[in-house]
Amino acid sequence: MDKNYFSSKNLTLGYGNSIVINNLPLSLDFDKNYEIIGRNGAGKSTLLDFISNNFQGNKFDSAVNLKDLRILQLSSEFTLISNLTLRENCLYFTKNKISLNDINKVLTDYDIYHFESDVIQKFSSGMIKRSELAVAELISPDVLCIDEPLNYLDGLGVELLKKLIIKRNENKQSTILCSQEPLNLFTETWETIDLNA
Amino acid sequence: MLKNIYLIKKELLIEYRNNVSLFIITPTVAVLILVFPILSENRFVVDDNFFTINKLLFLIFFTTLFSIRSPLNQKQLTRELNFGNITRKNFFLFKTISEFIIFMPQSIILLVSFSIFTNTGLQNHILYFGISIIFFSLNSIMINLILQMFTSFNNRFVQFILMVPVLMSLSFFIAPIWLGINPNLTNIYLMMYLGITLLVFSYTSWFLERE
Repeated sequence: MDKNYFSSKNLTLGYGNSIVINNLPLSLDFDKNYEIIGRNGAGKSTLLDFISNNFQGNKFDSAVNLKDLRILQLSSEFTLISNLTLRENCLYFTKNKISLNDINKVLTDYDIYHFESDVIQKFSSGMIKRSELAVAELISPDVLCIDEPLNYLDGLGVELLKKLIIKRNENKQSTILCSQEPLNLFTETWETIDLNA
Repeated sequence: MLKNIYLIKKELLIEYRNNVSLFIITPTVAVLILVFPILSENRFVVDDNFFTINKLLFLIFFTTLFSIRSPLNQKQLTRELNFGNITRKNFFLFKTISEFIIFMPQSIILLVSFSIFTNTGLQNHILYFGISIIFFSLNSIMINLILQMFTSFNNRFVQFILMVPVLMSLSFFIAPIWLGINPNLTNIYLMMYLGITLLVFSYTSWFLERE
């Protein structure tokens, strides 16, 4: 079975006429984890947006082969809907397919169960990030992309993130992290995509 | 269909907690309705037709306010739909339904209040009146969503400028019905309105399938 879900020999991305990523050869397999590193403006978030189908720019003449997988992105801007409560967000993004018991269990694991009836706009940034990790665990996508994973997270949050990555490894699901410096969050082998080069 | 009811539930919950539409737009328009008869008192005779046309203008004004109350941000919308694995087609369909559920009762309250405060009666059968409002609401909601979902106009002013002419052209079809033309012509106008509704819906469906 072909493990590759994304391949491009000449990935060029940009906004308008300005090019952010130029002729990057890239191939991603869903049994591997990846860490994208690069300085400010190197195109980390642009690349992550593109992999997760959230890119709204110009891909020029890049020939890209992307398989139809469930790819979820936790970007630096929050995705949870601020006018809904945590529980409503969980139900909305899981399309009511996951039972309330399972949702409650995950929220308890992430230590946010007692906030389940509060609207997201009252949450701190760290709480929203933790909630998004919980929703990501509930959705359990084939590929999980996290932009600046440590942003807003406290010590417990980082531990929860590490647990999530380990759990995803056990389930043979891929995780892509994106940051300025190597984070060493993976316990299994991973591949680094260095955009500084 | 029923499995996607969560999309409607989400829109209704947001609307319930959103203090723009119900708590600002409705009172604003209600105040205008209250002020209007007082202003018109200075005239010797106010014709019923004049009030009917003004009722239409108020409906356009209200619909425009309703349309621009919460602009869709393209980037945010794309991220949300990908996050929830929701197709644009489903989003469009259920957003239209939920907007209709929110808008319809408010527009009926507006028109009934206008009739009460200005003492204007209906000049055509209530059934024709009702159908024309349903078509007007559906078309204005769908066109507003198309403009917001497939263009990058997330600026309220631009939306306002774009929406007013569209709503005016939609109102050209209901003005004769409200002014009481004969039943045969009313049927023709309603059929034309039905055609426009189907055209807008099928164009959007085709556009979304193509995407």
